[in-house]
Amino acid sequence: MTSVDLAAGPSGPRPKRLTAGRVGLYAFLVIAALFFLIPLYVMIITSLKPMSEIRLGNLFALPSDPSFYAWAKAWSSACTGLNCDGIHVGMLNSVKILIPSVIVSISVGAVTGYALSFWRPKGSNFLFAVLLLGAFIPYQVFLYPLVRMLSIVSLYNSIPGVVFVHSIFGLPLMTLLFRNFYAGIPIDLFKAARVDGGGFWAIFLRLMLPLSTPIIVVAAILQITGIWNDFLFGLIFAGRENFPMTVQLNNIVNSSFGEKEYNVNMAATILTALVPLFVYFVSGRWFVRGIASGAVKG
Amino acid sequence: MKHVSKALLGAAASLAILAGSAFAAEKAEVIHWWTSGGESAAVKVFADQFNAQGGEWVDAAIAGGEAARAAGINRIVGGNPPTAMQFNTGKQFEDLVAQGLLGSLDEVAAADGWAKFLSPVLVKAVSRDGHFYAVPVNIHSNNWLWYNADVLAKNGIEPPKTWDELFAALDKLKAAGVIPMAQSGDAWTQLLLFNDVVLGVGGRDLFLKIFQDNDMEAIKSPEFKKVAETFGKLREYGDAGQQGRQWNQATGLVIDGKAGFNFMGDWAKGEIIAAGLTPGKEVGCVPGLGNQVYWIGGDVFVFPKTDNADAQKAQKLLAHVMLEPDTQVAFNAKKGSVPVRADVDTSKLDVCAQEGLKLLAKPDGAVPGTDFLQTPDTLGSLQDAIGQFWTTPSQTPDELVAKVVSIWESK
Amino acid sequence: MNPRLKRFWSAQLALTPAWLIVIFAYIGTILWTVQISFTSSKVFPVSNYVGFAQYSRLFASDRWMISVNNLFIFGGLFIVGCLVIGFLLAVFLDQRIRAESMFRTIFLYPYALSFIVTGLVWQWTLNPTLGIQQTVRNWGFESFTFDWLTRGDRAIYVVALAGIWQSSGLVMAILLAGLRGVDGELWKAAKVDGIPTWRVYLHVVIPILAPMFVTATVLLATAVVKVYDLVVALTNGGPGISTEVPAKFVIEYLFQRQNLGLATAASTVMMITVLCVLAPWLYWQYFRQPRSAR
Repeated sequence: MTSVDLAAGPSGPRPKRLTAGRVGLYAFLVIAALFFLIPLYVMIITSLKPMSEIRLGNLFALPSDPSFYAWAKAWSSACTGLNCDGIHVGMLNSVKILIPSVIVSISVGAVTGYALSFWRPKGSNFLFAVLLLGAFIPYQVFLYPLVRMLSIVSLYNSIPGVVFVHSIFGLPLMTLLFRNFYAGIPIDLFKAARVDGGGFWAIFLRLMLPLSTPIIVVAAILQITGIWNDFLFGLIFAGRENFPMTVQLNNIVNSSFGEKEYNVNMAATILTALVPLFVYFVSGRWFVRGIASGAVKG
Repeated sequence: MKHVSKALLGAAASLAILAGSAFAAEKAEVIHWWTSGGESAAVKVFADQFNAQGGEWVDAAIAGGEAARAAGINRIVGGNPPTAMQFNTGKQFEDLVAQGLLGSLDEVAAADGWAKFLSPVLVKAVSRDGHFYAVPVNIHSNNWLWYNADVLAKNGIEPPKTWDELFAALDKLKAAGVIPMAQSGDAWTQLLLFNDVVLGVGGRDLFLKIFQDNDMEAIKSPEFKKVAETFGKLREYGDAGQQGRQWNQATGLVIDGKAGFNFMGDWAKGEIIAAGLTPGKEVGCVPGLGNQVYWIGGDVFVFPKTDNADAQKAQKLLAHVMLEPDTQVAFNAKKGSVPVRADVDTSKLDVCAQEGLKLLAKPDGAVPGTDFLQTPDTLGSLQDAIGQFWTTPSQTPDELVAKVVSIWESK
Repeated sequence: MNPRLKRFWSAQLALTPAWLIVIFAYIGTILWTVQISFTSSKVFPVSNYVGFAQYSRLFASDRWMISVNNLFIFGGLFIVGCLVIGFLLAVFLDQRIRAESMFRTIFLYPYALSFIVTGLVWQWTLNPTLGIQQTVRNWGFESFTFDWLTRGDRAIYVVALAGIWQSSGLVMAILLAGLRGVDGELWKAAKVDGIPTWRVYLHVVIPILAPMFVTATVLLATAVVKVYDLVVALTNGGPGISTEVPAKFVIEYLFQRQNLGLATAASTVMMITVLCVLAPWLYWQYFRQPRSAR
């Protein structure tokens, strides 16, 4: 991951040697980095300590005798009520929810964005306006009617049900991303394809989709992290057997036996955060590049 | 005629239960919020008994009563109800009954003769229009003061019998550098403490006037103001770590000797027992400090309506198992509560439970829990006002009284 | 088939899922919600209409007023905080520094974490008896106090802090992308004219980045209105009700306090507020100048 991967190199003023300003700049960056890293550091070292050490309150001290006991417990035997299966059950559920949700929401968003930016059939302004507003309206407004609607079609408390809900609420952002991305593609390109006799789907599949890789990557990153990190929909729509990892995490953290086992809780927390963290570490440069290629520009 | 048909129904139900237990594994998914150490030990009694009689207990514990109820109601509304779910005894499940979403338990009740061994208060609490809709499983009392006997002895403090003695003891502990009163940050525990003060300082009549009769004069009375003042004074004796602490961790502070006192319901005993101690010995108990009034609550299980014959069988079996005498004694010993059956042997219960039973036996010795008397909505608003008052030291008792007045006015 | 007709036919067909979602999941649910808000519904919707009774109760409720107030405090601090920190980070990262990608990764990673995780982590870090306060005291500063999390008048700032920690990396990434798009000639020209760097940023670069700022603000504002998990995990609304937010109010009255009428009235108010603020802006942003060519 180097700066070469970015659309262009740094554009700031050319640096003068090592000046006081330069030192200040690095100092700022290092302090900021510490602020961003401290919580991660605390989580990791606490998860490696036994409870006897945590009680002393030396939050930043390195563990004197690091052990993975808490990790093992969080993964396979932490309890919620009588179920002591740890958090690994939730991981599989999260994957089962994640994959179809990401595929469906991006496909629908891409097609909708494409139709809205190039074709604009009747009513498309209205559709887009409602979608945009939908992005801002708190989910809470829709919850109760949705529970009732999904139960009518027997999707309530099932993985298809929760996938459906994720697709519904992912649509505004996905549409916005793709619409704006396609708005940046020269209209003449589209016109030329029309003159050549390309239809709706042909232009989409042969011309637009191959151009869309950067925005698809951005969309995928946003959806993967968003859906993995979701708590509310998983809790309400997935059903007990399909609880995603975040819901299980909250259950484990909030069911304490006597004393709160901070080490187990922190280990469970890190485990829950691993997938989105991995996605970011692997694709960080894509994320920035995707935005650079006109992704979300207003 | 009615009696005859009831008896017949009852017989049929017992047959159905017997028949049910002859077949393998009636699956019952049970939603509850018993996730602490003592609580899960108690719920395991139900699970084991149910499994032993041919059922298959599928545990659906969800941490936090509010979250568990929300999840259960969602599933009932969504048409995919659990086999059974927990509520607090009281008004929480009233709307479910009104909507016809709960199965009637009349068959099991008649077969097992619930009317014979349940107290009239409980019968009233679990039935609507003469039909049973819930199984009461325990009687809890909410207003206990727990103390660490060692810590008190070390600081030369006798277990308090009055509120004045309590405040004197709290001052001593504060001076000695011990957390005087362990308090959780959860709003319901603050409301519980407040109600303890209403009963202990205000008394039974004031409590009933406010919660049962909605008497505005009582809320504006000098007695209630004194309650607010006493509650306000207690704010000085908590520690800085309350926020984010759960009730069992607050009790844990007393168990570990880090704090002197803790106001909590008798379910705290579950934690004490789980820690290997004896209630009434290392951790002492004072029921109903002040006026010696027992404030009763409890848990019930309801059984959502279903068309599935197997599920219905499982529901009947579970309702039957939960009220069996042996199950009741074993469950309540672990849970820290008192059995709902008047006809079981209570001599094996601990010292604290014995004291509680004495109060229960006294005429006027008990008041029903607030859940019996008020809707979750009103209690929620009260809880908000109490929580705000508790965590804002600058708020005066007069402001609290004014808030309570406005809550009751807007009902 | 007439090609023009076919064109619209296939475009409309492609938009069918979006239309269905908009009609049923958005408009339908909203209408239903609004309708319930005029009834006295408790656990279940009933059609006993009570006019604006739920609304008057709502605005007489302390908890609601505190929630609304908190939303403004949190929202203001969160958006401004993220924009300022994100912008500073982006500018500093754009100075041809060493290890840029490392810094970038560090600043961006919290955005990958859920609000649940963020809330829990900060709750532990700022817990006075366990976290930073206790640690500093153990170092010998006995009177050091940082107990905002347990103080009703300060806890909301902690919520904002945790939010800023989580989201300012996103702003940094967006603005950094924008900075990379700034023409290099600009700096040469500024140097020739002897204009100080900070003035170039203030008067030239920020206006160029305006669309990026708008995008970032939109994304952040979306998060503000919806904020729920963060509060649940960090403070659960406490101490008392000092960090309650509207979304949490709705959920609680919807499912736990069993008052559908009040909950839907609250969500209707939220929705109308959002509409009033956003509609003009959205119109200006997206519909003012229809694309000239097709």
